[in-house]
Amino acid sequence: MKSHRLILPALLALAIGAGSARAAGELNLFGWSEYIPQSVLDGFTKETGIKVNFETYASNEELLSKLVAGGGSYDLVQPSDYAAEVMIRQNLLSPLDPRLLPNLKNIAPEFRHRPHDPAGRYTVPYMSGTVGIVVNTEKVKTPVHSYSDVFTPAFKDRIVVLNDTREIVTWALYTLKLPINTINAESLAQARPVVANWVKLVKVFDSDSPKTALLNGDVDVGVVWSGEAAILWKENKKFQYFIPTEGAHQFIDVLAIPANAKNKEAAHKLIDYILRPEVSVLISEAFPYTNPNQAARKLLTPEQLANPASYPPGSPKLETFRDIGKAAADVDRLVTDLKSAR
Amino acid sequence: MSPAAKAGAALPGLIDRRTPRWRAWLLLLPMVTWLVLFVVAPTAILLVYSFCERDEVGRVLFTFTLDNYRRVFDPVYLWIFARSIYYAGLTTVICIVAGYPVAYCIGRAREEWRQRLLLLVMVPFWTSFLIRTYAWITILKQEGLLNGFLRLFSPGTAGLDLLYTPTAVVIGLVYAYLPFMILPIYGSVEKLDGALIEAAYDLGAGPLRVFSSVIIPLTLPGVAAGTLLVFVPAVGMFAITDLMGGARVPLIGNVIQNQFMQARDWPFGAALGAVFMGLFAATYWVMLRLGAQEEDSVA
Repeated sequence: MKSHRLILPALLALAIGAGSARAAGELNLFGWSEYIPQSVLDGFTKETGIKVNFETYASNEELLSKLVAGGGSYDLVQPSDYAAEVMIRQNLLSPLDPRLLPNLKNIAPEFRHRPHDPAGRYTVPYMSGTVGIVVNTEKVKTPVHSYSDVFTPAFKDRIVVLNDTREIVTWALYTLKLPINTINAESLAQARPVVANWVKLVKVFDSDSPKTALLNGDVDVGVVWSGEAAILWKENKKFQYFIPTEGAHQFIDVLAIPANAKNKEAAHKLIDYILRPEVSVLISEAFPYTNPNQAARKLLTPEQLANPASYPPGSPKLETFRDIGKAAADVDRLVTDLKSAR
Repeated sequence: MSPAAKAGAALPGLIDRRTPRWRAWLLLLPMVTWLVLFVVAPTAILLVYSFCERDEVGRVLFTFTLDNYRRVFDPVYLWIFARSIYYAGLTTVICIVAGYPVAYCIGRAREEWRQRLLLLVMVPFWTSFLIRTYAWITILKQEGLLNGFLRLFSPGTAGLDLLYTPTAVVIGLVYAYLPFMILPIYGSVEKLDGALIEAAYDLGAGPLRVFSSVIIPLTLPGVAAGTLLVFVPAVGMFAITDLMGGARVPLIGNVIQNQFMQARDWPFGAALGAVFMGLFAATYWVMLRLGAQEEDSVA
């Protein structure tokens, strides 16, 4: 990791050399792994002639670490809401030019002007999703609609959850009816016994592919990303998804342009290209999250729209994460401690 | 002897005293550069970071603090250290018990067989470590190969519940590191002097006595090297705990990885890493001392 710093000057020299040759024709995209179909990028290159260099990361923290350290030179990034909030506050993002984004009108109003970017100046929603309960209804006959339904002794060693300390603490806060974005010593003290009981019941902690344990039959219930649940449902209708009645974390992954981007024009072009309904629908096909693009939703098949994990019925209580700053370390310590104590 | 040869004979003394010095350094230069760039410099950065603080965003602030080390010695993390050492120790012991006979048989096999058997030990390295770990998931999962195999013999049984348990972690660790135990032991077995063993038999020792008093002491350097090669990486392993253990019980490798990724607390991660390195240095030193004592007692 540290050696990057030493290699960086060499790489920069190379990049500058290469950049001067074809400055207008390249775009450095830093996005989530398994989130942007290659066909979308190929289509963009074919139409505009702009070559897309695609680098991926597996967590917002990885993206933040890289950007605050000043490493890399990216033209377009794909943070989640709370990471975008941090980046805006740290002046790491460049304001967008709405004149270059005519397709922005396709985004449903409920996904714009959210707390992470109230004025909507810096970010464009890419995809959205929730964290909810997935149940193998072939094995589980009782209704499981809340966090307290999941974490019962009856399901001991039959549960998969995300390996994410903030998520786990959030679910505990929801069952305690505490606010999920105000985390302090007091709320953590209340959450502690709840989380302590829960971690003893969990069989697998997995953020990367929680669907695997469910598909393999090693567990029967899970608290997972809605996208994972949507893929499970596509595979087999026995996997049902529920938004927990106590409330659920909603994430909005956005597209944004870093302040030090070299090719902002190309970045705007790619954002607007992705906002086209016929392009956006390709993303929904590959990664069945909630598409914030209203025009694209009209192009979805009835089966895609019926997927309860992509488009949950009713109007559940959903909240996005806000950055919690240094409290993240306390959250991490709490969950590590309790996992270790089992 | 010709005058030229005489001059040549006089020269070596001169070369011995002067030239080799800078020549030796020149030969060492690539190695020294490599060490400075990729070992000394990163370690120095790690040490500096471990005394720093993090800001709200997770950037490293260069203000001196001992808080990170204080936190390392919090019981939570001490327990995790202890557990990591226990898992790695167990792995090492199993590797010795399982690897020694294999290495011994290969080392004492006929020449033409030796190479083939050694190749078999190394064949798994041709496949990516992660892919091999996923293969183990296919074997150990509830509807997996192992349970399917067991059901062939006793249909209707529930099967073993192995995946995502501590047992699975140890299986994964032993699988990953067994070759690193076999190869160094093989190295010492191969060099074993048959005459010494015959002499022991001639002097009236039974097979057990020969094994315990002659073969084991002579192959101990291989066991020691294997122990280091297995124990040290096994303590810090995090991928196997995540994939095969379901990330249920954190080991020190997981905690450190988490500080650099999810928790974004690099200084604390650096402090854990520094203590961890100190631990390795101590292990190595103890092994060296044991080795030296062994040599003394043999002599």
